Amino acid sequence: MLLHDIRLALRSLKRNPILSLLMIVTIGVGIAASMIAMTVYSARAGHPIPWKEDVLFAVTMDTRENEPPPPGMPLRNFEYPPFTLAYQDAVAAYRSDIPRRSVMMYRSGQLVTPERANIKPFHVPVRVTTADFFAMFDVPFRYGGGWSRAADTTAEPVVVISKYLNDKLFGGANSLGREITLGGRQFKIIGVLDAWMPHPRFYDLSGGGFDLPEDAFLPFEWVRAGRIFPQSINCVRRTARVVNFESLFTEECLWLQYWVELPDSAAHARFQQYVDNYVRDQQQRGRMPRPLNNRIVNVSTWLEMNNVVGDDTRMQVMVAVAFLVVCVLNTVGLILAKFLSAAPIAGLRRALGATRLDIVRQHLTEVVIMGLIGGALGLFLSFGGLRLLYALIFARGLESSDNPARLTLAQSFTHMDFPMLLLAVALSVLTGILAGIYPAWRIGRLTPATFLKTQ
Amino acid sequence: MIVMNGVSKVFRTDIVETHALRDFSIEVKPGEFVAITGHSGSGKTTFLNVAGLLEEFDRGTYHLDGQDVSRLTDNERSRIRNERIGFIFQGSNLIPDLNIYDNVDAPLHYRRMPAAERHKRITAALERVGLTSRMKHLPSQLSGGQQQRAAIARAICGSPRVILADEPTGNLDTTMSDQIMDLLQSINADGTTILMVTHNPELAQRAHRQVHIVDGRVDQIHHFDSGQRASAAAGANA
Repeated sequence: MLLHDIRLALRSLKRNPILSLLMIVTIGVGIAASMIAMTVYSARAGHPIPWKEDVLFAVTMDTRENEPPPPGMPLRNFEYPPFTLAYQDAVAAYRSDIPRRSVMMYRSGQLVTPERANIKPFHVPVRVTTADFFAMFDVPFRYGGGWSRAADTTAEPVVVISKYLNDKLFGGANSLGREITLGGRQFKIIGVLDAWMPHPRFYDLSGGGFDLPEDAFLPFEWVRAGRIFPQSINCVRRTARVVNFESLFTEECLWLQYWVELPDSAAHARFQQYVDNYVRDQQQRGRMPRPLNNRIVNVSTWLEMNNVVGDDTRMQVMVAVAFLVVCVLNTVGLILAKFLSAAPIAGLRRALGATRLDIVRQHLTEVVIMGLIGGALGLFLSFGGLRLLYALIFARGLESSDNPARLTLAQSFTHMDFPMLLLAVALSVLTGILAGIYPAWRIGRLTPATFLKTQ
Repeated sequence: MIVMNGVSKVFRTDIVETHALRDFSIEVKPGEFVAITGHSGSGKTTFLNVAGLLEEFDRGTYHLDGQDVSRLTDNERSRIRNERIGFIFQGSNLIPDLNIYDNVDAPLHYRRMPAAERHKRITAALERVGLTSRMKHLPSQLSGGQQQRAAIARAICGSPRVILADEPTGNLDTTMSDQIMDLLQSINADGTTILMVTHNPELAQRAHRQVHIVDGRVDQIHHFDSGQRASAAAGANA
C-alpha cells in the first residue's frame, strides 16, 4: 500500500509541477535557514569534556567592591563572581588537599627563536600552569608527558609543546630532550601534545572561548622566574593598580584561572566550605566586601555562566525556526489549494472503497515526499550557505595562519556532521507532516458524493 | 437486495433547505435491472448516492442485503462500497493520470487484494468490455464510449452484487449508448443487480422496471416484460 501511495504521490506532484516546485522551494528555504542556524548553534553548544562533567569544576570567588552593577551591565552577568582569581586567593585555594587535582594558570605569549635559520622568530601563545593541567583535562600526548609538582616550585626550564609547534620546528619528529628558545630562555622539551582542540576552549574562555589551545606550556613558577605577564588582568578594587611586576602578586587584580578535580559531591561540599571559610577570613581582614558568592561549578554551568553559546546565536536559531514556521504556514495554504483542486479524485477514490484513513495516508505520503525533496534542496542550500559563511568570516583569518588546527576549528563552525544531517531529514519529514496534516485531514473528511458530479 | 422505507434527505444551507428525497420507499430484488427516471432535480442522483452509501440520509430505514446501513461506521460503509457496489458515473470519472489498467485496479487496491488476483480480474474485466488492447492508454487517449466501457470494467472487476449507474450514456451518441446498454444487460444477465439513472425513456424500457421520481418521491412504476425489453433493444440496435 505504501508503494502504491508513493506512486500516486509522485504522479500528483507531476500533475502540478509549478505548484509542487513552489512548495518544495518554500520548504527547502525554510529548512536551509534552520539548518545553517542550528549548525552554528551546535558548534557553539557542544560539551568539550562530557566524561568529566561530574568531577571537573571551575572555582570563582567574589572579590569585587560591594557596589550596585554599573549602568548597562546585564543583571545576569553582575550576579556571577569574576571568572578569574587574584594570585593570593589562587595560592590559598591551591593549599587545600581536598581536590584530587588543582590547576592555577594563565595565558600569555612568548617569542620563539628557532634553531633553523630558515624559520624567522615568531610569537606563540603560552600557558603558564601548575602540573595537574594535563592529567586534569585529559590532554593527549604524542611524545613524553607533563612535569611534576616539584617543577612548579623550582621553575625547572622544561616545556610541553603543541603538535603544531613540533611539526613546525622539528618536522613532526620526536623532539623530547631537545631545546627550544622561548622569550630568550632555553627550555627542554619534555612533552609533545597530540592533536587537541577542546571546543570550546573551556578552561580559559577569555576571548569567547573559540580559539586553539596554547602552543607552549610552562611550569607555574616561571611567572616569577621569567617575569611572564598575563595576557589579561582585571583589577576589581578601585585602589588596585598593577604598577610593576610584583604588584601582580599583591594587588586585588584577577588574572588566574582556577580549576579543581573533585572525586564526589562530598568532596565538592568540603571544598566549597574550605573556600567559603577562606573568604570569611579575608572579609575579617577587610578584603572581599561583598556577601559570600563563591561558585564552584561544573563545565556545563561554567559554559552557561560565560554565555558561550551567545544570545546572538540563540536569537538566530529562534528567528530561523520562526522563518521555518512561516514557510510551513505558507505551504499549508498551497497544499490545501492543491488538494482541494484534486478533491473530485479523492471523492472518486472514496466511492471506490477508500477509507478516510486511506485518503489521509495517501495525501500525507505526498506531503512527506514533498518535505523530503524540500529537505534535500534545503541541505543543498545549507551547504552553500555554510560555505558562504566560511568565506565571509573565517577565510581571511586562515590566510595568515599556517596552523592546520585553525582550519579545523573554522570548519567546525561550518561543517554539518552526521547528527545534523539526520536532524535535517527528520526536520524535512516533520515539516511535510506539519504542513500537510490539516489539508490531508480536510480532504479525508469530505463526503464522497460531494465532488463526483463535478469530476 | 435494496429495501428503503420512508427515506428522507434534506440539504441545508444557512438560508435554504432542499428536500432531495421525501419519504422515499423502494425495494429492489437481487438480479433486477431498475431504471430510475425523473426530471432534473427530482432526486434521482441523491437516491443513487444514498443507495451507494456515498451520502447519509436523515430519516427512514435502508437495508442492503438485509443489513441496516444506518448503523454502519464510515469504514464499514467504505468496505461495503468496495466489495458489494460498483459505480458507473455519467462522465466515466476515470482518474486522468492513471492508465486504464490502473484505473480498473483502483478499487481492488483498496480491497488489499494480492497482485496476481488483481491482474487476473483486471484483464478479465477489460476483455469483457473489449479494451484489452487499450489497457496502457490514458483516459484522454480513448473515445467517450471507450472511457465508459473502462468505467464499467472498473465497476465489475470487484464482482459487486449491485451496480449503480448514473446516466452512463449521458454523454454518448446513440450507437455508443446502445453498446453500453448491451454491456449492462449482459452483466445483469449474469446476476448482477443494476440500478440505472437515465433521462432516456427508450433506454429505461430495456430495464425490468422503470421507477419515475418526482420531487423526491416515487411517482410511477412501470414493469417491462421480456418482449418489451427485447423490442426496445432491437429498436435501438436497428
